[in-house]
Amino acid sequence: MKYLLLSVFIALLSNSYGQQGKKVQFVGGARSLMSNSNFTSDPSDSMTAPKSTGGYALVDLGIKINPNKTTEILGMFRIRNDFGGFWGGGVTFGVRQLYVRGVAGKVLRYQVGNLDYKLTPYTFYNHNADILTSSVGTMGIKEDIFNYESFYRKNTWRQQGASVNFALQFPKVVKEIEFNGFITRMNPTNFANIMERLYGGGNMVVTQGKHLTVGLNHVSIFDLAGTAIDSNAYSNNVSTLTYDVRFDAKKFKYGVDGESGISSSGLSQAPEDALNDYFLHARAYLNLKKKNLGFDLGYMDNGADFRSFGAQSKRIDYSQQNNFFKRYTNDQILRPVSMYDIYNDPTLFSNGIQAGVMQYNPAVNNALPYGLATFNRRGGYIGASYSDSAKIIDASAKYYLLNEIRGQGTSALKTFNYANLDVHFSLSNLMKWKKKVDVHTGVAIQKTTREGDFTFESVDLSSFTMNTGFEIEVIEKLSVLANVFLLQSKGSDQLPVRDGNDAIVNYTEFSVDGIESNIAGGLKFDFSEKVYLAAMYEWNKNSFVVDNPYQFSQMSIYYVMKF
Amino acid sequence: MKKYGILLLVGLVLFSCRKDELEAVDGPNLTDVFGTFEVVSTLVTSQPNVDFAAGQSVYFTSEISIITDWELKITGQTSGAEKIITGTGKIIDASVSTWDGSTTNFPMFQSETCDVMLTFPGEADTLYSTVTVDQPKTNSGFVIADFESGWVGGWTSFIQSGGNMDFNIKTDGSAAQLGSYYNMQGLVDWDWLVGMVNFNAAAYGSTTIPLSSNADNLYFNVLIYGQPGLPNSRVLFQFDEDDDLGGSFNAVNEDQFTIEILIDWEGWRKVSVKYSDLIGNGAGGGTHNPDKINAINMLHLADPSSGIAVSKIDYIIFTENAALNP
Repeated sequence: MKYLLLSVFIALLSNSYGQQGKKVQFVGGARSLMSNSNFTSDPSDSMTAPKSTGGYALVDLGIKINPNKTTEILGMFRIRNDFGGFWGGGVTFGVRQLYVRGVAGKVLRYQVGNLDYKLTPYTFYNHNADILTSSVGTMGIKEDIFNYESFYRKNTWRQQGASVNFALQFPKVVKEIEFNGFITRMNPTNFANIMERLYGGGNMVVTQGKHLTVGLNHVSIFDLAGTAIDSNAYSNNVSTLTYDVRFDAKKFKYGVDGESGISSSGLSQAPEDALNDYFLHARAYLNLKKKNLGFDLGYMDNGADFRSFGAQSKRIDYSQQNNFFKRYTNDQILRPVSMYDIYNDPTLFSNGIQAGVMQYNPAVNNALPYGLATFNRRGGYIGASYSDSAKIIDASAKYYLLNEIRGQGTSALKTFNYANLDVHFSLSNLMKWKKKVDVHTGVAIQKTTREGDFTFESVDLSSFTMNTGFEIEVIEKLSVLANVFLLQSKGSDQLPVRDGNDAIVNYTEFSVDGIESNIAGGLKFDFSEKVYLAAMYEWNKNSFVVDNPYQFSQMSIYYVMKF
Repeated sequence: MKKYGILLLVGLVLFSCRKDELEAVDGPNLTDVFGTFEVVSTLVTSQPNVDFAAGQSVYFTSEISIITDWELKITGQTSGAEKIITGTGKIIDASVSTWDGSTTNFPMFQSETCDVMLTFPGEADTLYSTVTVDQPKTNSGFVIADFESGWVGGWTSFIQSGGNMDFNIKTDGSAAQLGSYYNMQGLVDWDWLVGMVNFNAAAYGSTTIPLSSNADNLYFNVLIYGQPGLPNSRVLFQFDEDDDLGGSFNAVNEDQFTIEILIDWEGWRKVSVKYSDLIGNGAGGGTHNPDKINAINMLHLADPSSGIAVSKIDYIIFTENAALNP
């Protein structure tokens, strides 16, 4: 069957080349990876095979068809072959993308099928709460790959459903009113105890003029009653107001923006257990135009019972298990998900939102584990950014000082200090060289504390993340890449254990004193802007599992093409 | 000036303070989780005697100072049967500790006095009590064989002439249910079949065994003993259906459903299977008709090269609505 489909696709491909203009385009990408890993832990470990070799080649083939000026159809399928397969063994064949979009009546934009969608940071938004530093160099390649695999584009979530968008423009008082709406399917019914679950919502954004933009936003996760025998329907409703009041003077721009709203979530047959709360988030900003400097000062108050799973779903679910060297030591203990796995295994990333509080790793991000939409946080932040017009330096820094609003198991509240810094430096732009010389450093520091009457009430957990990399074009199209990544965490906290209704029923002691370091270097040859071949070697050491530290070394070769 | 006024207004609206939630606490109190372990109230049995056969149940109560894991073990003084109930919490009451007379580790309970022991992993404290079972739990269902009345007329058997052959009903104190079980033992180094027993419908006074016709609601249950150190035994149950109700089973055009169990464990274990999950030969159309079972064949198998094979069988019973809760 797969070969029949492939033949049909190739036939379509051949015909389409004969067509005129841009009615049919081919889009997609191809990638191949070969790797050889060497795993070392306790020298007496005789149960774990220390070497792993593997690889794959995949092609994403998409046809974008424009049957008329206002309609676009995209169908993309993926053929993947794990190395070692022969005559179809190890080959998978699947649909990667499918949508139809267009403009109806010159007014209404629509899309049906796959949607990459977001609304606002508190309603529907894909916060990146597990990777606090961005990358160039070797880790930049890996970051590009898992973002591509998981459809992470500008904080959107991949959903399946339909969306519409239209705008009305006015000559007076209000400049424009824009309307957005979407409906997607989260899960199908099993006709017994699981109902059809949908996620829908939309917003209305009013742009008054140069100074004011106001938006009303609403999203809802809801079970469709009658689609299963069980009638205890779940819902999570969030309504917010967004605003941006801005002024533009000759030398500077300034204003206030933010989002505030309410949420409710619960089951229809247990209204007494429903969670209702609200949040406030406001930010004042000032941009000094000539000096390319920006400052912001913000305040947030996210209630302890504020739930908005479209914005609180995490990219990484820490309750899942690894696929690579899943167990090790003679006792074959499970190897927890590490930063190495996150950067190397795109299958660990979520492809959609989840209705429920997901597990997080306090060693990585304890301050805002669900991004800006994290519940039970109140406090302020201050930030600064600089980006010169010659694109030599692009830097930003932010510091958060937050507290819990409601204590967990005690009336004493945790305090969270969180600072991050991101600096991108382009020596080539400074020296006006044609060859690329980029250096990047990202640092994130967190500290969580809680004072208490009892020893077990005290919390003191700190973490430090650093990611430094460079990419230097030594001869035309050939670059040297390098990265140093470090995650260090020490201290203790108590992690809540939640039941099926997300209520805290117990706590587990979380104690950590470990370091994960990853040093990598490699070469990259750019055949063109969208096609490259890279080879890299990396060393990874991890001591987060007490008494069972381990290390990797890995050689990888990547071939990446986009078209 | 107007613009500063707007900014101030927006600021005032948005920065309005939330009422502090200093009294509210999410989840259980930390002192209830990480505090000092102490027994607040000792282990108490809700009633000294219990008649499970009359539908009674018994529960146990205790209270400790912190939320912790606990294990309640009830052990029959005569039978050695065990019932284990586990949980997490600081209060043990009827909602988490009710015992309906069922068994976790075989043999099954008899009319006997039972020791009750409450332990907490990681803590030295152990609490004790007792309860007397006046009558053990009875299970509703159709009993194919419990071997308490000896060999039943209508059953047939075939035993190979190997070495150390012992296919007999035994009453030696090691039965899983009441006093007797069926022992299957032998060394047959030329064939997989060691021996077999046919539980024919005639033994139950009919041409078909009187069972429900609803295969999705009918469970076949058997207690099987795995001999320590001899994980080579297999027991194959064949369910011969007389689909045309002609009075006998014909393998050519009538269904035979089977389940083969590799006995790779030690001690007694319950095996249950829904009748509709049994795999058939398809000869009779493949529809599960438990009300047309003409005979149940129990074959004791072993790899001829694996040496002597030993297993024991007890309490073969069909139950409706759910698997046997012994």
